[in-house]
Amino acid sequence: MKPQQMIVRHKLFDRLCHWTIVVVGLVTFLTGFSFFFPSFQWLSGIVGTPQLAKVMHPFFGIAMCLLLALMLIRYYHHNKWNKYDLPWMKAVVWVLLQKEDNIPPVGHYNPGQKMLFRAFVIFVLAFVITGVMMWQPYFAPLFSPETVNWATLIHSACGILMLIALVVHVWMATWIEGSITGMLYGKVSRAWAKKHHPMMLEEEDHK
Amino acid sequence: MATQDIIRRSGTTDITPASQARIGAVKQVTKLFDATKCTGCKACQVACSEWNDLRDEVGTFQGSYQNPMTLSPDSWNIMQYHEVMDDNKLRWQFTHTACMHCADPACLKACSTAGAIVQHANGTVDFDSDKCIGCGYCASACPFNVPKISKKDNKAYKCTLCSDRLAVGLEPACVKTCTVGALRYGTREDMLFYAEKRVQQLKERGYHNAGLYNPEGVGGTHYMMILHDINKAETYGMPKDPQIPAATEIRQDWLKPLGTAGLLATAAFALMHRVTVGRNIVEEDQPGYVPEDNHEEAGK
Repeated sequence: MKPQQMIVRHKLFDRLCHWTIVVVGLVTFLTGFSFFFPSFQWLSGIVGTPQLAKVMHPFFGIAMCLLLALMLIRYYHHNKWNKYDLPWMKAVVWVLLQKEDNIPPVGHYNPGQKMLFRAFVIFVLAFVITGVMMWQPYFAPLFSPETVNWATLIHSACGILMLIALVVHVWMATWIEGSITGMLYGKVSRAWAKKHHPMMLEEEDHK
Repeated sequence: MATQDIIRRSGTTDITPASQARIGAVKQVTKLFDATKCTGCKACQVACSEWNDLRDEVGTFQGSYQNPMTLSPDSWNIMQYHEVMDDNKLRWQFTHTACMHCADPACLKACSTAGAIVQHANGTVDFDSDKCIGCGYCASACPFNVPKISKKDNKAYKCTLCSDRLAVGLEPACVKTCTVGALRYGTREDMLFYAEKRVQQLKERGYHNAGLYNPEGVGGTHYMMILHDINKAETYGMPKDPQIPAATEIRQDWLKPLGTAGLLATAAFALMHRVTVGRNIVEEDQPGYVPEDNHEEAGK
């Protein structure tokens, strides 16, 4: 059997960025979850006490958002809409059922991933803006209580929506075997690319 | 204080409520402020600082006798000086501003932390500073803009109605010290009875719109006010129809259940999908894989 031919899907910088976001984001999400669901306050134990969680959450959150913004900028060119997206989207049920003969080809990212990309752009912006507005005791006093209250609602809603988006992200990453190896070590096999992102292979060959 | 005295606590679901053992014989209490009697002497402000061991920073003159201009983590009640013009004549209206001790408190509903805000059997609303994490949700939800976050320790503070004094049968420090009897304290029943008589008296004296400020939007308050003109509550610095803010209600009553359902549904769908559809593997990369067109050769 000939050895697998591997191609680079994620560069070292992006991989480091991704896994740093995972760690920082885990702390941000566990502490944030503990504020939204007081019954799960024990989740704030990830940083020690609920009081420490309140102090640390904004700093971890800012780090998460900055790194995420950096990654989104670096992956922007892979995530522009193109003419292959609509046919794929129409066949999304076949994607989930793994009937690969019915799935139109896509490039480096499929439309589902591009939608997730756009959702993350919105979340990053919303988190930073509303987060600063509700940041006690530094910035919150600069805004009216009503404004801070609405900011809190938007912040929490984005938290829940992003958590749902992350469940989908993890679901897909663990289902499509080879993805996590790709994000850990950077390379995927040519066969993997042909199966999931055929046009990425073409892009690669035209380099 | 016995924990059976706490009948409601923040961040707690209805499935696991605070102690409900007591049958309701504990009398509801109320502080009553009579704006028509107040002379703005600020003794209440001083007594509060004395009893609660607080000293606010000395501020600067802001064009009013009012000082400080707003409640703060170190000023739990303040005397507001409202300058009102009637028929080209200036007069003062004084408001003893402090926590309203709502029957249905927005702060308690908004709180991020289990048990950091509690309601006692007598109706008063209290903060447990030991549990408070300083998120500020109470400060942004309160329709009266009462709780304030301290920069010293990042905790929320407000009037406790001197819950420590009430527990041993004393009245709040501000009431104890009031020089003209504008502040009263007693059972809710007694205060409502007194207020009704006083409002009647004021009406007879020509204050036809005199009335009791006990806003229904927050279920009534355990701090009520007798005003010269109940239709002009805003001239006393009080909101006309205070409510639990919509943003707080949406977050707690809609976002929480819907968010929980959405999360669980997504996770459940993902799991079902994984189990039903099975692994998604690249066959070519599996050990021992033989390309289809080579099958015959391999068989030989």
